[in-house]
Amino acid sequence: MAEEKERKKEEEKEDVEELKELLSVVSKEVPALIKGIIASVFSEEAGRDMGKAAAAFYKELKEAGMPDDVAVKMTEGYISAFTSLGEVMKRAVSGRKGVEDKELEKEISKRIKEKLAEKGLAEKEEEEEGDEEED
Amino acid sequence: MKLRGIISLVLHATRLLLSLLALWLSFGWRVRKARKAFEKELVKMGMAKKDAEKLSSWYSKLKNDIMQTVKSYIFARR
Repeated sequence: MAEEKERKKEEEKEDVEELKELLSVVSKEVPALIKGIIASVFSEEAGRDMGKAAAAFYKELKEAGMPDDVAVKMTEGYISAFTSLGEVMKRAVSGRKGVEDKELEKEISKRIKEKLAEKGLAEKEEEEEGDEEED
Repeated sequence: MKLRGIISLVLHATRLLLSLLALWLSFGWRVRKARKAFEKELVKMGMAKKDAEKLSSWYSKLKNDIMQTVKSYIFARR
């Protein structure tokens, strides 16, 4: 009985130690990881680099004789490639929703096919009726 | 020994939460800095300030998207 109590105590102690180690690593690594991800997009340097790329694109368009408003619109389209990062994140987080979307897509295409098939049959019947009347 | 372990756990958890809070608080400031640097480069190349501001608005959009995703993720887990 005493041995069992001792063993239980030891196990509890080990669990606490393990959790302590785990939390000490997580509390250091997770914020650093998130900070790194944020800094790769939202930092002065990243903004400057992205601005340089967009500005070079805009400059080339202007030098090629593109009107100002068209050049701005095209640069906007060029930048929108980066904006899709938000969409990627949304999809990554809500992975289940993607599956639901696919199911919905399948259901819609199935219904459309059914309707088309029905319509095709109806048209055939109409044609046949028309032929019979002509005869 | 066990009490020391629990205190240590609480300290680490607090440290983690404080780091995340600091990150969340500095996020807006980082976005503003990046946006300004982005606009500056565009204006340097001869773009009108109004157009540069319009183009840099995607930074705010991206920030809002990220915040919304994180919020919906947290509340969906509850």
